[in-house]
Amino acid sequence: MGAVLMSAISEEKYMSISPAEFFYKYREVAGFANPVKAFYQVVKELIDNALDATDMHGILPDVKISIEKADEVQEYYKITVEDNGIGIPPDVVPYAFGKVLFSSKYVMKQSRGMYGLGVKMVVLYAQMTTGRPVEVITSRENYRMIYYFKLRIDINKNEPVIIERGAWRKTRDWHGTVVSVTIEGDWGRAKQRILEYLSRTSIITPYANITLITPENEIIHYSRVTNAMPKPPRESKPHPRGIDLEMFKTLINNNGNGEEPVEEFLTSNFQSIGPSTARAILNLAKIDPYKKLHELTESEIQRLFNIIKSYDKYKPPSATSLSPLGREVLEAGLKRIFEPEFLYAVTRSPRSYEGNPFIVEAAISYGGNTPMSPQEQPIILRYANRVPLIYDESTDVVTQVVKEDVNWESYMISFPAPLAIVVHICSTKIPFKGVGKESIADIPEIRREVKLAIMEVTRELKRYLVKKVKEKEVMRRVEILAKYIPEVARSLAIILGDNSSKNRIEAALTRKLIEYVSRRSNVSVEIVNSIVKSVKIGV
Amino acid sequence: MSTISETDVKTRMRALDLIKENFKRLLDELDKSGKLHLVFPKRTLSNTIYDQKSKILLLGPDIQYRSFTDINEAKKFTQTILMASIIYKALRNNEYPTIRDLFYRGKHTISYTSIDGKKVSENSWDDQRESDSVIRDLEVFLNILREDLLILSKEKGKVVGNLIIKSGDDTIDLSKMGHGAYAIEPTPDLIDFIDVDAEYVLVVEKDAVFQQLHRYGFWKKNKVVLVTSAGQPDRATRRFVRRLSEEFKLPVYILCDSDPYGFYIYSVFKAGSITLSYESERLATPTAKFIGVTLTDIFGTEIFKEILRDPQIKNTLEEIAKDVLKLKSKEPYLSIEERRNFVIKAKLRDIERAVELVGYRVAEACIGSPEYRSKIKRKEGVSGYPWFLTPEWIRELCIFFYTTSKLEIEAITGKGLRFLADIYIPRKIENEDWID
Repeated sequence: MGAVLMSAISEEKYMSISPAEFFYKYREVAGFANPVKAFYQVVKELIDNALDATDMHGILPDVKISIEKADEVQEYYKITVEDNGIGIPPDVVPYAFGKVLFSSKYVMKQSRGMYGLGVKMVVLYAQMTTGRPVEVITSRENYRMIYYFKLRIDINKNEPVIIERGAWRKTRDWHGTVVSVTIEGDWGRAKQRILEYLSRTSIITPYANITLITPENEIIHYSRVTNAMPKPPRESKPHPRGIDLEMFKTLINNNGNGEEPVEEFLTSNFQSIGPSTARAILNLAKIDPYKKLHELTESEIQRLFNIIKSYDKYKPPSATSLSPLGREVLEAGLKRIFEPEFLYAVTRSPRSYEGNPFIVEAAISYGGNTPMSPQEQPIILRYANRVPLIYDESTDVVTQVVKEDVNWESYMISFPAPLAIVVHICSTKIPFKGVGKESIADIPEIRREVKLAIMEVTRELKRYLVKKVKEKEVMRRVEILAKYIPEVARSLAIILGDNSSKNRIEAALTRKLIEYVSRRSNVSVEIVNSIVKSVKIGV
Repeated sequence: MSTISETDVKTRMRALDLIKENFKRLLDELDKSGKLHLVFPKRTLSNTIYDQKSKILLLGPDIQYRSFTDINEAKKFTQTILMASIIYKALRNNEYPTIRDLFYRGKHTISYTSIDGKKVSENSWDDQRESDSVIRDLEVFLNILREDLLILSKEKGKVVGNLIIKSGDDTIDLSKMGHGAYAIEPTPDLIDFIDVDAEYVLVVEKDAVFQQLHRYGFWKKNKVVLVTSAGQPDRATRRFVRRLSEEFKLPVYILCDSDPYGFYIYSVFKAGSITLSYESERLATPTAKFIGVTLTDIFGTEIFKEILRDPQIKNTLEEIAKDVLKLKSKEPYLSIEERRNFVIKAKLRDIERAVELVGYRVAEACIGSPEYRSKIKRKEGVSGYPWFLTPEWIRELCIFFYTTSKLEIEAITGKGLRFLADIYIPRKIENEDWID
């Protein structure tokens, strides 16, 4: 639902309609265009939030999703998602679910959704289609109470309307959130998409228990296979190169009473700007460092912004706001789903584009239950900030790298092959192509990292394949010799033995020859013996 | 009294012991040096040498190590041991297998399950060439001829003449065979020569010519032991002829077609064959002489003088065999008209075979037909067999290339059996008009 909507909302003060009203009118933009897409989008938003509330805070996720038919006649479905996350303070709940708002606090941190914006779209969509309110049950770790809300959004006022609320004492040590919405949707056609999304999500969250109960009472369960979890991201201030003019103005306008000197504003609101960098910038912009923020003219703000953007001596952005999955998680996830013959994952060092830090990770799964790839390329599993990208594969930068930048033949791979490549890109700002948020744009810095990551894992696969070919060759040689052992032993026993000693000699010779072949080929006696045992002569 | 001859019983015991001894040694070596391999002289063309002194083909000094752990040799190794066991079993069971029998007795499938679970199967051998080849290897390895392992082959050669032999437990007079002849048994070493009354041995390539000479009484009239190999000579015929030559010092004359195939048959009798060079010492008759039919019998030597007028041909031939110009001249046995009737045109196959005998240079220098000249181009580099690079043979083959003509021996009988038996053969022997 992306950038367009977001910046539309951030321009709140310039628009005459409320964000809620805006969304109501332009719901296609947010991915709620039809009953199929909307169904998928609702489930996806709720799951993304559930995971953000857990793994982004160091909690091993237990997520339960249930989808049930909610009306005998109408195609109404009640979707309930329960997590064991950090929970939401009761005073925040009405705003988190009932007011389309945009945080003015500019901090950067990797997350799946955008500041919980998606869930409000879900509430609005439920309201539009079934008119039924959202129900929320939540509690935090140190709370003694569990809180219950039933609420809706006043679209014109962009305000939450609480229909029902309650609280009861916790009888067990529970924290987390349960959200239920009832929407009208096309389950029959959305089902496949939702299952695909869930399976793709499970690949990179092997540390999560995820359970889905469908309207047909099917249970789909992904159980936790590792307790290893990525380190949660830390909030960080924006890097000056990653900022746009609107963001810059918002930061200035929202800065208290505007009494702060411009130099202090720069050093306290951005990373990589210390006193000397601030001086240098202001010097270039010909602005007095002690000038107060509210005294800046429109043209000074413009000038300052231009200098900030063109200044090129910043330290690169910090990557502490990022949370890559790491080798262990990537490998555990692929192992759970494909049980591959060969598996390798890599997390590249942080890089940045236009002031935004990013990390590329790649994993490779070969053989085992890895499905057969298409005719010309491996199976590509793309992720951005831990969200699977399922559609628009052909326009994605990862696909371009796979097709154009990697010479697969030189890695001993010819397609189709049982080969899947996972690429996860995490960043404080993913450069999506278009509003679908399903494909990533071809940014040279990102393309280069994707290429290096894929080449790194593929190189490991090649090393494995070469070794395998060599081992196979040794085995082939052993087979060639071992298959003749019974014939040689039998023939020699005929010559050297008589009727009474023949069998004894044959057995002794067989043993001797097995040891001989084992010694000469460095393959265990057991393996040679297993081939010899399988030999049949003249049958 | 046993129905089996005493000689056979003795031969059998010797062979059994020999095989057992050799394979016991094979295993002793495995225990001692940790190596399992058969060691025997290499039986390849490159290890076949022509011994100028004894004038026979011999195996060279190269040794073959057929190791069980060499994956390229493992199958051959197994085949060799398998064949040894089949022969051993046959010897023990008082049998006389032929090489074809041995092929069938050892032909079976070997199947196994590979490490990745696939069922694989192959045959111990697929055709008789494979089993024949390991029989030859065993002969070399055991240093014994297959006949002494009581392996039989089809009888091909025949003989008549004033000769009394003992075969098995019977005595046979080869002058009392009626219109038939004694078929030379596959184990000629088990024959005892009792008495012989002959001046020389005449070996005829063609069975038909043998029969004609036999009925005509040629051998009685001339005191000859008359032998035919009926085409390519088998081992038994060669050994039989060799024994006659060696044990009674009888001269041996070979009568063949006048074409490269006939020439080669002669050379097999005289020097041995390339595939069986390990047996030459016992099979070859180095004193055998090629009595005919030569190209000079057909054309005389005048034609060769004509050819040598071309200085280029002359130089080439002189380079290869210096004395080619000093050869005696002679008149043809055929008139120009007879020649026209009897001679047939050589085929490309004949020409190519001739190139193998004397080499490409002689062919290139002498060949008359431009068509053949271009076709034999691919034989460039072939240098010929050393025992054919003598002045006499070079003259013969030069005329062959020049005229691209050949003659079958039947054509001579066309001039009259009497001519062959009473004029051609006796006169050639009298005049010592042969090639040695």
